[in-house]
Amino acid sequence: MPTKSCNAPAAGRRKFLTGMTLTGAAALSAPVMSAGAQQSAPKNAPGVVPQPNLAAETHAPPSDPVSQTSSGGDFMVDVLKTLDIDYLAMNCASSFRGVHEALINHGGNVKPEILTCPHEEIAVSMGQGYAKIEGKPMAMMCHGVVGLQHATMALYNSWCDRVPVYVMIGNIIEADKRMPGAEWVHSAIDPAALVRDFVKWDDQPASLQHFAESAVRAYKISMTPPMAPVLLSLDGELQENPIPDAARLHIPKLAKVVPPVGDPGAVAEAAKLLAAAQNPVIVVDRYARTPGGMARLVELAEALQCAVVDQAGRMNFPSRHPLNQTFRSRAVVGEADMILAIEMNDLWGVLNSFSDRIVRSYRPIVKPGTKIVTLGSRDLYMKANYQDFARFNDVDLAIAGDGEASLPGLIEQVRRMVDAGRKSAHAARGRKLAEAREALREQAKSDATIGWDASPITTARMCTELWAQIKDEDWSLVGNAIRMTWPHRLWNFDKPYRWNGFSGGAGIGYNAPASAGAALANKRHGRISVAIQGDGDLMFVPGTLWTAAHHRIPILYVVHNNRAYHQEYMYLQAMAARHGRGITNAHIGTTLTDPNIDYATVAKGFGVYAEGPITDPKDLGPALKRAVAVVKRGEPALVDVVTDPR
Amino acid sequence: MTKLRQHLGVALGLAMFGACGAAWPQNSPVGDAANGKRAYLAVGCFTCHGRSGQGGAMNYPASALAQTTLPLEAFSVLVRAGPNDMPAYSQNVLSDKDLADIHAFLRSLSGRRPAKDMPLLNQ
Repeated sequence: MPTKSCNAPAAGRRKFLTGMTLTGAAALSAPVMSAGAQQSAPKNAPGVVPQPNLAAETHAPPSDPVSQTSSGGDFMVDVLKTLDIDYLAMNCASSFRGVHEALINHGGNVKPEILTCPHEEIAVSMGQGYAKIEGKPMAMMCHGVVGLQHATMALYNSWCDRVPVYVMIGNIIEADKRMPGAEWVHSAIDPAALVRDFVKWDDQPASLQHFAESAVRAYKISMTPPMAPVLLSLDGELQENPIPDAARLHIPKLAKVVPPVGDPGAVAEAAKLLAAAQNPVIVVDRYARTPGGMARLVELAEALQCAVVDQAGRMNFPSRHPLNQTFRSRAVVGEADMILAIEMNDLWGVLNSFSDRIVRSYRPIVKPGTKIVTLGSRDLYMKANYQDFARFNDVDLAIAGDGEASLPGLIEQVRRMVDAGRKSAHAARGRKLAEAREALREQAKSDATIGWDASPITTARMCTELWAQIKDEDWSLVGNAIRMTWPHRLWNFDKPYRWNGFSGGAGIGYNAPASAGAALANKRHGRISVAIQGDGDLMFVPGTLWTAAHHRIPILYVVHNNRAYHQEYMYLQAMAARHGRGITNAHIGTTLTDPNIDYATVAKGFGVYAEGPITDPKDLGPALKRAVAVVKRGEPALVDVVTDPR
Repeated sequence: MTKLRQHLGVALGLAMFGACGAAWPQNSPVGDAANGKRAYLAVGCFTCHGRSGQGGAMNYPASALAQTTLPLEAFSVLVRAGPNDMPAYSQNVLSDKDLADIHAFLRSLSGRRPAKDMPLLNQ
């Protein structure tokens, strides 16, 4: 620990603070804190509690300095500024006070700018949503022990969702430097162990130079597909002490990160299979990671005139494109003789039908003999403990490489192999798919009419009313409730930022803060961000609303308030039905009623414009219109809609 | 079990047919729609199929039931067996009378409207 050896013992942080206490106290309130006065009290006098010898306990050694002109935290901020990080979301904590102060006063609170979050889960989730719109990580900082424990759920979501989040935690490594009390329970010898199963890389730098190198390395690792969160543990002494050897410090250059591309021979083989197939199908999940991703997939699909099934992990494919067959996935997968799976996490789940009965069973949807090719970065980095990699599926060719980066080569090969004869057959295939897509749209519209005027309001009506208010804006749906398919069935998702995917780990508490993070990214582009917000999710992290108000994040939350953890409600019903008992009791432990939660009042309490609860569908359109106007002014708004379950 | 599967297969076929909105010969509604609504809400049909019978999703899509074209017999087979992930509603949790009343309630719902006449759905 060279830093310590340069300063020990006089420049240690704790002694420095002791000096500060003495100086400050003397200046402010000599009569109260006077050591002399304390000493003059008679010893053991009746009714007088023996006092500690404050003079002895607070008197600093003569050599203890009271100010410093540099700090490790300043240098850390200098390093962060080279990483093009715009925001740092955090809940303040003493274990990183050195960097916190440096961010504000040395860094000027720009690049990164601090986002104040009332929970660490909010901070990480904001980073997750942000990165999926902006294409780069947000930083997040928290206590190494208790803050990181709060942050774990969001880190797991980010890991499963393959999203980079740049996490820094505070820790006090040296035992003799820890203040009695909280600093002991807030320190660990290996704080990252808690989350090592779901971060891609971590380090606990022992010097400032070590920090600089690890900080750049962490950024590079997090941004290399498969992307994932990374973590740096920052020692308190390293943050707070003066820089002992500034002339020797060097900030490494961050090189451009080039994603891995699939082997050209394997890509050519995939192209051959695609071109020759009668019914090729592309299934895709966390594919598009840049604004160019969607256009490339459209190009490939149109070159083949083949069906695309979009699992919507990202904004992969336009919702109204004639080749988008997402809502007849089973039909097209069942007819496929060749399947190209791009950046799929759960391919098995798409190719099989699983029955959640007493005897759990499954059957393949895909025909025997169907050729299956996978293309993605998933196999390049995986861990064992958490089972987010899903069930193994037989495939004929597994191409390891970033889907988006590999697509230009694949498109070129496909074009080379599609001759005039095939083009004609492909065109006929495309026409059939276009007819099927149009029928799906008409079906969706017809389905949406059922219960149109009902109260509680149907989710179809809610989504249709919302679409009416945003369709002429430059909108972005940055969050959605569980299994809410109406937007993708009814709306026109036609630009790369119209949608940014789901939580990844299905951990509740993602939607509200991740949507706020995505909305922050959309803000500088002038887009209107909207989130369909489950009530159960909002109850995990309601403080997000305050952060949105405080930082003027323009976002419209439309609360899909079904007053339940609805998926669990249904599961409980299934259990009761299985046992033939008490099916009317399924609401116990699964609903959020008695009292009903007034989300508009909650939001107003956090400083957010809000309306609701809205129960009459006729009132919904005007309320949404008013709320959109607020968002267009640059502020958050919330409309609480009492809805049907799904 | 084989017989049940046959009935279920027929019922599923009918359900798919019904979901397309085609005409199907109907038994006269024999149930009490008001009690059917009560039972539909009480035993939780609405959680997957919606209060208006709009349909929804559990692990897989749950079909729209408003103005179901399924005859009561086929409807009963489906409810008692529970296709896919649907809970199988035995008589212990849903009596034959309540089941028939639910069928009558679903038949009484207003169901679909012509989407082309609704501007909000054509944008």
